[in-house]
Amino acid sequence: MASDSSYASPSSDEEEESAGQKPTVDVNINSIDTSLDAIENQLSSIALNAPIDDGTVSSTDYHEEPVSEIDDGSLRESVSERRRNSIGESSSSRGSGLWRNNLEVGVELEPEGDGSPSSPSSSGYAGERGSSSSAASASDTDVIREIRENGSSMGDDGVVPLDPAQAQWIRGKRHADEDDGSISWRKRKKHFFILSHSGKPIYSRYGDEHKLAGFSATLQAIISFVENGGDRVKLVRAGKHQVVFLVKGPIYLVCISCTEEPYESLRGQLELLYGQMILILTRSVDKCFEKNPKFDMTPLLGGTDAVFSSLIHSFSRNPATFLHAYTCLPLAYTTRQAAGAILQDVADTGVLFAILMCKDKVVSLVGLQKASLHPDDMLLLANFVMSSESFRTSESFSPICLPRYNPMAFLYAYVHYLDVDTYLTLLTTSSQAFFHLKECRIQIEAVLKKSNVLNEVERSLSDGGMRIEDLPVDPSANFGSLFHLNQRKIATNGTVTGVGGPAGLWHFIYRSIYLDQYVSSEFASPINHPHQQKRLYRAYQRLYASMHDKGVGPHKTQFRRDDNYVLLCWVTQDFELYAAFDPLADKGVAIRICNRVCQWVKDVENEIFLLGATPFSW
Amino acid sequence: MGCSSSLPDRSPGRVGGLNPDNGGDSDAKNLRVKLVLLGDSGVGKSCIVLRFVRGQFDPTSKVTVGASFLSQTIALQDSTTVKFEIWDTAGQERYAALAPLYYRGAAVGVIVYDITNPDSFHKAQYWVKELQKHGSPDIVLALVGNKADLQEKREVSVQAGIEYAEKNGMFFIETSAKTADNINQLFEEIAKRLPRPSPS
Repeated sequence: MASDSSYASPSSDEEEESAGQKPTVDVNINSIDTSLDAIENQLSSIALNAPIDDGTVSSTDYHEEPVSEIDDGSLRESVSERRRNSIGESSSSRGSGLWRNNLEVGVELEPEGDGSPSSPSSSGYAGERGSSSSAASASDTDVIREIRENGSSMGDDGVVPLDPAQAQWIRGKRHADEDDGSISWRKRKKHFFILSHSGKPIYSRYGDEHKLAGFSATLQAIISFVENGGDRVKLVRAGKHQVVFLVKGPIYLVCISCTEEPYESLRGQLELLYGQMILILTRSVDKCFEKNPKFDMTPLLGGTDAVFSSLIHSFSRNPATFLHAYTCLPLAYTTRQAAGAILQDVADTGVLFAILMCKDKVVSLVGLQKASLHPDDMLLLANFVMSSESFRTSESFSPICLPRYNPMAFLYAYVHYLDVDTYLTLLTTSSQAFFHLKECRIQIEAVLKKSNVLNEVERSLSDGGMRIEDLPVDPSANFGSLFHLNQRKIATNGTVTGVGGPAGLWHFIYRSIYLDQYVSSEFASPINHPHQQKRLYRAYQRLYASMHDKGVGPHKTQFRRDDNYVLLCWVTQDFELYAAFDPLADKGVAIRICNRVCQWVKDVENEIFLLGATPFSW
Repeated sequence: MGCSSSLPDRSPGRVGGLNPDNGGDSDAKNLRVKLVLLGDSGVGKSCIVLRFVRGQFDPTSKVTVGASFLSQTIALQDSTTVKFEIWDTAGQERYAALAPLYYRGAAVGVIVYDITNPDSFHKAQYWVKELQKHGSPDIVLALVGNKADLQEKREVSVQAGIEYAEKNGMFFIETSAKTADNINQLFEEIAKRLPRPSPS
């Protein structure tokens, strides 16, 4: 089928998240004992009691280099640099101490209400934060911190061996034959569970939900044990594993992960997982639990495994999942205008939202009057449409709920693929509107074909967007348009493989705060392999979490150096810039390059962003 | 264009919502009928439709979301044409409450079960009762036992299907979307049984 081949098929090696440890403790999970000792035993069996090698974290070398931000809003390296090796010592010893603590299970509790700052050890950044107070005293608030992590243990990717037998990306539930007794199940690096407040399993990323009833009951016991004490459990650390909890009324969500992602990121992923469930069912499922606490929800989610798997898959591949912003397909301004105009015409006839997307990128979108579409809802909707194969077969009309728009009510979605990758979604509040929406689609499709928009979309998809090797080093150069450049490139080179940008720039993401949109550069050498891309996204994710940490932030700039990259983050009122460089990149040059990137983005902003039409700017 | 400027939720003239507009193109020689497929998930409703409309069969299972809309016109021997506007509904439990949205005003109800799965036969009986109670009074009902190619795995006898269908005044047929067996016959037979508008 054409629809099958159109799907990017990630190889299983990057999909299989397996920790390479053998379980050393075997505890009977099925016996529920709410005493704390029993819970600790359970947790150590979850964590497989991984031995921690202190050598991996103790070699931290720490530099701090103040950088001043000057009036024109650009970054400039300050003349004075100070090196503070002594901090390295203290932070490393602190770091290993933290690990030792983690070996004994540390339970962190969240007081009722969200007012209190999170405890420092709730994030992977504990070591760094331990020294942030001294950094603050050393300079003003605009401090760029450089952290060198030799032999850092963060590289969880790239070590998973390739298994040709698993080289096929199976849509839907994977490893359904497993349960909590399977060694392979216990070795999975990242588990996601949804369960009911009575402990009934609703969803598990791996394994058969029904076989995991005992395990589910254990998770429920942990949550209710803490709740009985008038408290709420947020995070349990056990060795390398983090167990993150999220309680949403009668629905409990749990992530068990040894990927070293920050707590905030994992919690955000659980929020999205919950949102995806709400998109399918609305929050009115809560009522089923009011009527019958032992209500079994699994039949209600029948056939949706692919939707959840695909969302979880995107957590380490789609920056929208942690940036809370959407991205646009690069298009000439007039092309996007033409698409927007016809969508606006149908929106005026009572369509709540009209969204034209190509894969996970927005071509254009309009909303009725002041109705606003949250980027997370767009992410969840796009994931739902793209992971449900039946939408590709024929036009469909389906109830869906946008959790950020109204979690209690269904909207009705008319979905139609205009070509292999481009699909139109028309949302309405009326269950009777199918034939009206079908007419609208026919009208839209005719206009898009006539005005050549669909061809432009297809071309943009194959040409790609911003390439780091095209970044102008000359500060006086103005880009004007992305498209002349890409065309020239293809005409002269024939190939589109790059070798990195100027001054060792490897990749960047620019997020416009005002527009709720982001743009990221195309991946180029040396970040070609999906493993490397996933690792970079995880690094960005950590950077995002540390920049947005309410306890110590918000920071304005951060400069981080480890074995894999130099990462530079710069946050202003208008935008956030995340850039990755060669680990040997010079800091001063890197800062200059970031200024160039921001200028470049501004030069081509009407081609990479949807301007003016976003509901939030009205 | 046909896209009216009135808001759909405020147009009381459009009764029945998901029924096609009576655009005047349905006459004695050219019928236009709404057909709804109902049945448990995984019995092959979408496969039957895709075999009938596009002549395709895709063995990979694709779960239908909400309902898919397809149409196909067939010509009968008496030179009339019948355009089927088909609502292929999702079999999942969460969509059961929404089924009236799709079967309201339908002239034909095709209820499908899987001959290798007795549960799906029970589910089919549920849908028959539902349509008898809430469907259009003159609805043409067909009971379809699909996956007839899997004879060795059969768990619902032909006799059971025939008896239930006769008792409920339905048309019965066993089909295989995989081999295309009886698929066109199913729709031709339905077309023949449709009440014809009296020529004026």
